[in-house]
Amino acid sequence: MNPEFLLSAIIFVPAVAAFLLAFFDSRNVEVIRFWSLGATIITFGLTLALWMQFDPAVPGLQMNVAAEWIPTWNVWYRLGVDGISLPLVLLTGLISMLSMAASWSITKHVKGYMVLFLLLESGMMGVFLSIDFFLFYVFWEVMLLPMYFLIGVWGGPRKEYAAIKFFLYTLAGSVLMLIAMLMFYFDTGATVESFNLVELAKVAAGAADAKLATTLTPSLQITAFILLFIGFAIKLPAFPVHTWLPDAHVEAPTPISMILAGVLLKMGGYGIIRIAFPLCPYGAQYAAYALVAIGVISIIYGAFAALAQTDFKRLVAYSSVSHMGYVLLGLAVWKINEGTGATIGGDFWLMGMNGAMFQMIAHGISSAGMFFMVGVIYDRVHHRDLNRFGGLMAKMPLYGGLSAGLFFAGLGLPGLCGFIGEVFVVISTWNYSPLLAIIAASGVILTAGYILWAMQRVYLGAEYKGPHAEDITPINGREVAIAGTLLALAIVLGVYPRVMFDVMSTSTTELVESLKTGYQKAATTVNQSQAQR
Amino acid sequence: MAAELHSYLMVGAVLFVCGVICMATKRNGIGVLMGVELVLNGANVNFVAFSRYTKLGLDGQIFSLFIIVLAAAEAAVALAIALNFYNNHLTIDVDRANKLKG
Amino acid sequence: MVGETLRNLLMVAWLLPLAGFAIEIFGGFWGKRTSKTAAWIAVACIGTGFLCSASALVLWGNSNGWTVLESDGHGHADAAHTEAAHPEPGHSEAADSADTAHSKQTVYSGTLYSLGKFGSLNVSLDYYIDSLTLTMFTMVTLIATCIHLFAIGYMSEELTEEYVDHHAHLSNGHHVHRPGRFYRFFAFLSLFCFSMLGLVLAGNIFQVFIFWELVGICSFLLIGFYTERKSASNAANKAFIMNRVGDFGFLIGLMVIWTYFGTFQFGPTSNADGVITDPGLFGMIHRDAAGTLLTDPVTGDVAITTVDGTPAVDGAGQSRTIPYSLLVVAGLGVFAGCIGKSAQFPLQTWLPDAMEGPTPVSALVHSATMVAAGVYLVGRFYPMFVQEVLLTIAYVGCITLFVAATIAIVATDIKKVLAYSTISQLGYMMLGLGVFGWGAGLFHLITHAFFKSLMFLCSGSVIYGCHHEQEMTKMGGLWKKMPITAFTMLVGVIAIAGLAIPGVIAFSGFHSKDAVVASALAFSDANPGHFLLFIMPLITAGITAFYMFRLWFFTFLGKPRDMHVYDHCHESPWIMTVPLLVLSVFAAFCAVGGEDGPLYQLITGDEPTHVAAGIASTQSVSGLTLPGHSAIHDVHSKAGALALFAAVSGTVIAYVLYGTTLVNLAEVKRHLSGLHSFLWNKWHFDELYDALFMKPAHIVGKFCAWVDKSLFDEILHGAARTCVIVAKWDRLFDEKLVDGFVNLLSRATWSVGDSLKVVQTGKLRQYVMFIVVGVVTLFAVLFATFPR
Repeated sequence: MNPEFLLSAIIFVPAVAAFLLAFFDSRNVEVIRFWSLGATIITFGLTLALWMQFDPAVPGLQMNVAAEWIPTWNVWYRLGVDGISLPLVLLTGLISMLSMAASWSITKHVKGYMVLFLLLESGMMGVFLSIDFFLFYVFWEVMLLPMYFLIGVWGGPRKEYAAIKFFLYTLAGSVLMLIAMLMFYFDTGATVESFNLVELAKVAAGAADAKLATTLTPSLQITAFILLFIGFAIKLPAFPVHTWLPDAHVEAPTPISMILAGVLLKMGGYGIIRIAFPLCPYGAQYAAYALVAIGVISIIYGAFAALAQTDFKRLVAYSSVSHMGYVLLGLAVWKINEGTGATIGGDFWLMGMNGAMFQMIAHGISSAGMFFMVGVIYDRVHHRDLNRFGGLMAKMPLYGGLSAGLFFAGLGLPGLCGFIGEVFVVISTWNYSPLLAIIAASGVILTAGYILWAMQRVYLGAEYKGPHAEDITPINGREVAIAGTLLALAIVLGVYPRVMFDVMSTSTTELVESLKTGYQKAATTVNQSQAQR
Repeated sequence: MAAELHSYLMVGAVLFVCGVICMATKRNGIGVLMGVELVLNGANVNFVAFSRYTKLGLDGQIFSLFIIVLAAAEAAVALAIALNFYNNHLTIDVDRANKLKG
Repeated sequence: MVGETLRNLLMVAWLLPLAGFAIEIFGGFWGKRTSKTAAWIAVACIGTGFLCSASALVLWGNSNGWTVLESDGHGHADAAHTEAAHPEPGHSEAADSADTAHSKQTVYSGTLYSLGKFGSLNVSLDYYIDSLTLTMFTMVTLIATCIHLFAIGYMSEELTEEYVDHHAHLSNGHHVHRPGRFYRFFAFLSLFCFSMLGLVLAGNIFQVFIFWELVGICSFLLIGFYTERKSASNAANKAFIMNRVGDFGFLIGLMVIWTYFGTFQFGPTSNADGVITDPGLFGMIHRDAAGTLLTDPVTGDVAITTVDGTPAVDGAGQSRTIPYSLLVVAGLGVFAGCIGKSAQFPLQTWLPDAMEGPTPVSALVHSATMVAAGVYLVGRFYPMFVQEVLLTIAYVGCITLFVAATIAIVATDIKKVLAYSTISQLGYMMLGLGVFGWGAGLFHLITHAFFKSLMFLCSGSVIYGCHHEQEMTKMGGLWKKMPITAFTMLVGVIAIAGLAIPGVIAFSGFHSKDAVVASALAFSDANPGHFLLFIMPLITAGITAFYMFRLWFFTFLGKPRDMHVYDHCHESPWIMTVPLLVLSVFAAFCAVGGEDGPLYQLITGDEPTHVAAGIASTQSVSGLTLPGHSAIHDVHSKAGALALFAAVSGTVIAYVLYGTTLVNLAEVKRHLSGLHSFLWNKWHFDELYDALFMKPAHIVGKFCAWVDKSLFDEILHGAARTCVIVAKWDRLFDEKLVDGFVNLLSRATWSVGDSLKVVQTGKLRQYVMFIVVGVVTLFAVLFATFPR
């Protein structure tokens, strides 16, 4: 298929479907559901087609699309895909499809829900596919608003609070991103390429064929990196800006929790790896220790907080904080020689970066699965109090088995996806800092603790202790299909992680190399100016 | 020559002041109109005198002709107002015409 | 190719149980609850696995002409010979094909597939096949087959639509009724076999870690098999989490190895042309003839070498080294994993609790195979351990074997006694490995696997016969009712106690324990400061004999203590007793010939190169001397005599106390009540850990949750409130100040107009007067201002 059409289709098929939904009779609930499911399936099919057309051996972005959009401000409609964005596009297509299938439990204002859901999917795809900074920003905001309504209208008892908290946190982050974006735009002379992420990255890396003339000074890089990082860390979420997450997850309906954990959190990691790092290599290295430390704190802190929760969904939400800490950790284990600016043990950093990317995919699958499993039981008994479950393994054996598999994936059991990401990240950390590596490794104990304890309280035991015991019915076919798909993928990725590593490796290797040269170049200018002084 | 202009101006001023006093003191509308005529003619005398004794030429005299025409028109309008006022109020006492009070 | 065939055979043995697991779990779920099909599939898988392993062993032996079995008298001291029998660790099969001169090749290694490749770093799944791998494979599959068969009988009560669990109660006091889960048990057993065999076959330390976790989760599933029982799920969680504590250390070890060596592989990797591209971990550490590690002349750190022993250089031309201290850290880290898995001090407390699982699980997972994996790994990873690590291993083993044995004296649950005995015996193995008795430790691993699985199965037979009664205080005199069980159990007890008539007959335990004690004696002779490493196992040998015979006398001799239990007791069916008989034969005779016998020779066929000669001088901080084969051999008979004496004394005391009525036991217990309660409470380890780790963890967890709720969220809410307050002030400012000013202006204008309107009188004459006065005033002002 024509790549220009393919990329745009992936972004806009859900939006067009949402538009057409407007002409549906809102009482025809089943028709609306199947129409929307169809749209997400088609989108997922298109992402698979994209994967087929993608050539993992080619460095750089592929299938580039460029069209003028707002000439006055040099804003272009630029799309492209590489080994970093492709896995996330696939994940978005998959999770959207599955959580749409999980949306059968939504009965209020179905039409409005579906329209917002599809718009959300368009926004997410746009974020992962756009390579124009302004376009990226637009999609970032486009995705924000449907999410606000999806939580605020279809959520739980404290939905307004959670929705506003989510919205304000993310907005604060995107404002910082906007500032950084304008810094880059005007620093590079507000030319045609000044919003082009590829060209900006080339400048930062000091590439010979860069079209932009200016060089981004080290001090600009540091400022911009901090702004961008805070913006993306909120989305990730990293300690201490993570507190929107538990509330948003607890209040959001199950499918939206799946999207939130499965895709939205990855935007934070994607932003760091696509924008913050390539555009400010000097800033990234400058802040590397802080990043690693924040990652480690997130891992441990999230795990401890999860240990103390009594709300099942809140526990899973905190496990997300803990797991996304590995992403930050893996991205930032960049050790340099202070004197020369040369990178030490670049292969370990490359491994950490690949591990972080893998962890994003793995977490997308395992945490979406965990949230779905919580939702399945919540739909039946309408409570989430961990201390009032028990005995579900006997009452719903298939559900219990699938849940055990998905929770083990979250626990980081070998053979399932969580293990590869976590362990690859952790063992690449010693090269950077033995102390932080040891602290990060201790997370395995805590993770086992809170997951097994939760499983014991929910699934094991002699009997169910909560209300609505009569409503506990066996898991139905639709639910088995969703959970089974996620578990199967968790196993495939856990046993043969090369499926993803092969897609990523060319791009991550290229990224690491360009960051190295970019840092070295900036460091040289800093050293020279210090010598002159 | 200067003495002659001076005399004309004196006459004009007397006429003007008489007209003004007439306007200020008369309560009869017709009286007020007559005062107006006096004021206008006081000005006319001045125009003609300046026209004769300075380098203005015919301008002053033409202007006085305009004023005469204007006075006639004004008298016609004013008499019409006075007549109507009388029809409505059975008087032409201008002190009774206080409807425009703010 | 021999290597390829071996690999394929072992992979069949390894993967068949996984296929079995998939068939059993899905087939069983949708199948009939009363069907035994799942069990037979499991038996078929593991039985085929045994046949594959055994044929692989034979094939391997034939390919190298059984050189390892050529006992050369007591020529172990001849380091040169061992060097020859053991070429550089692991020439891969590809290398073999290129160079057929290696007719005596015994180690085969290679890669299955790569998990991820990052620059020069490559994480892959490998295989590493040497005599130890093959011995372990055969042992595991053989014991597992026996236990699978036994379990068909033992678990037969689960073959029902409505199983009544007498140990799990509902809140209304009734027993739990549930469908039987026969199929699930066998599915989990199959999954365990897959994981365990994967662990043994693993060709790199990372892969070991993968399967290490997998056997852990299988253990979790099997301990918690009776999910309805709170005690079972608690025990399962405890087992897994304590193992994870060990794995935390393991992970640190992995990180150090990965960072400094850049590879996980044990053996070398070669490319398609047979050229070795990566020497593998064992090829990166070289020792000289005296056992000293090669060091870098500049930094003094330990040198990382290429496969031929020359120092390796990195891309920048720097020679690669690892600080000695980090080599210690790596060793201790990996050993920490072994501590967790093998239930060594201080992480031993999970294993007794793990007895909550069905007895076949205890026999397979928690005595013969999984818990021995820690010992296996220490043996496998031996070339990487430096003296300090070995000393730690020895002391940990020493403490463990004593502590566990003392607790076993007072335990009355038949399975708990065996569990503590398992911990104690694992301590022996660790001690043996720690004191440089590489062969002795692993020898004991194999013999222990046979006799301990035998004893566990016997106890299972007793429990099954007594309708799930586990307390020995309710048994007694059972030998009349269950003669086969009693007899086979006696074989196991004699084996573990180490009783023998020297020169006439000796069961397996005698030989292996003898080897361990001899190594310990040689070690303490060479390092007199560490005499405890010999004294403790010697004393414990006596204690072992004591508590094992106590168990046997308690259960099978004397008068029945509970007539109800006795009356309903019966011998188990053939499917349970046949495995007992098979295992008893192996428990008795597997180690025949002792250290000259085939088993020991087979195990030590691929002994690490530096073991035979021992390490005399050393660069280690502790200045240890590690005994070689000859030193151990010299003290062998002395150690054997002492151990035998200890065992006989223990047996005699046990007989006097429990086999006769000469001593009033209650009296003894009363006199030693303090000691008894201390031992009964397992040295208070559980309470200690609860106070030291569990409670603090929960408190920290609550604190973190509190910080989130009360600090971060409050800050946020404070900010939100501030915003609201600022907004209120803003509104006030707008309404009062800005709007107020505008309103004021309009009001002022209004009032001015209002007050000026009186001038508008409507009186014509007044207007004229105003004009006049105005004009006059104007003129007056003009004249006053501009006087002429």
